[in-house]
Amino acid sequence: MQNRPTAAELAEAVRSFLEEEIGPGLQDARLRFRALVAANALSILGRDLLLGEELLREEVDVLSGLLGVPGDAPSLNEELCRRIRRGDPPAGTLSALRRIAELKLRIASPRYLEGRR
Amino acid sequence: MTVELRAALEARLSSLFGGKVQVERFALLAGGASMEAWAVDAQTPSGPMPLLLRRGAGGRIYRDALSLAQEHRVLEAAWKAGVKVPRPRGYLGELLGREAYVMDRLQGETVGRRLVQRPEFAAARAVLPGQMAQELARIHAIDPAPLEFLPGTGASSPVLRGLEGLTAQLASLEEPHPSLELGLLHLRRHLPSDGPRVVCHGDFRVGNFMVGAEGLSGVLDWEFAHLGDPREDLAWPMVRAWRFRADPLRLGGIAQPQEFIDRYAALTGRSVTLAELRLFELLGNVRWAVGALTQARRHLSGEERSVELAVLGRLAAEIEHEVLFLLEEGGG
Repeated sequence: MQNRPTAAELAEAVRSFLEEEIGPGLQDARLRFRALVAANALSILGRDLLLGEELLREEVDVLSGLLGVPGDAPSLNEELCRRIRRGDPPAGTLSALRRIAELKLRIASPRYLEGRR
Repeated sequence: MTVELRAALEARLSSLFGGKVQVERFALLAGGASMEAWAVDAQTPSGPMPLLLRRGAGGRIYRDALSLAQEHRVLEAAWKAGVKVPRPRGYLGELLGREAYVMDRLQGETVGRRLVQRPEFAAARAVLPGQMAQELARIHAIDPAPLEFLPGTGASSPVLRGLEGLTAQLASLEEPHPSLELGLLHLRRHLPSDGPRVVCHGDFRVGNFMVGAEGLSGVLDWEFAHLGDPREDLAWPMVRAWRFRADPLRLGGIAQPQEFIDRYAALTGRSVTLAELRLFELLGNVRWAVGALTQARRHLSGEERSVELAVLGRLAAEIEHEVLFLLEEGGG
């Protein structure tokens, strides 16, 4: 087992370095903006490390419940895509996808999700 | 490199303006893998001239985007039709190996977030909806005949062609996106397939307008011009991503859409219902989601390494969420 910091703690250390120490000192506005974007990328990474597995399991549960078959996330998503392209989405597809979209946003953009609730 | 480019530009501008031209300021404003923009202050025989140089950057340009030669011709057509655009000053051919053209450099603000949020633009925001309608009416009246290169000239309906293109682009991502598939299914079932075919700007939204104290002074970024259904352009500025977090104001974060739609209808005789616009807004969101995912692929493939493009792949989840929201509103 690795010593601390954990992976998520390391991501957070680099994020705050970029946002608090590097960003404000940059003269070039485009570079300053990209430093903020990079800090945001590390926030996403940190949340993914902490929550990723749990949310993926939840997504798999939702999808296998919807489709009535077991499988992993890629194959269940592919199967649902095939059904939709055939014009035959299972009943409950929209609400299942809305739930999954919220799971994805908890990692990708929790502030956006808060704003939409 | 900059010195050589500047010298090459001076020579080209001198023949363009018929006399000695001196470049006094030459600064890169924006550069990506496919395009550069340079601010150029030129001393010409008829006086000082603030110019903007658009030049290729060697990378692959987006599928369906116009070449710079074509973009310059569209800009000329728009200028002649009375659309507020930066006046095109000449296509330069290849400038140190990459094609380029010059146009007037307009003063003002383009950044959507500032236009939507800052108090000093309150007066501009009040007049923008009417001005946007006016400019869009002029754009849609541009004679397409001399612009034979515009995408969308084929026989099929522009809406169906757009859906087919998006379906193919989504498939090429090789990543399953059931929410976008559901959006496309809804559009295939409900979008009106017939409509007038006009010159569309293709990216008509806050963020691509030059805005000053008196409001809109120039419609910019013409590389996605094509022949299409006018409702594509009407609904595009309503897409949530272009409201810059002022979400309740559905027209670009500046107003409700009614005035814009009414004014456009009064000017063109084309009335559009809000329900129709909702469908085209859904189309716009699916298009932007696929676009954002495609941008992330530019990073992943190594075509243009950029943390901004990379993050778009994850942020596309916001647009997927919006697609599902619009589907739920529209009764699935």
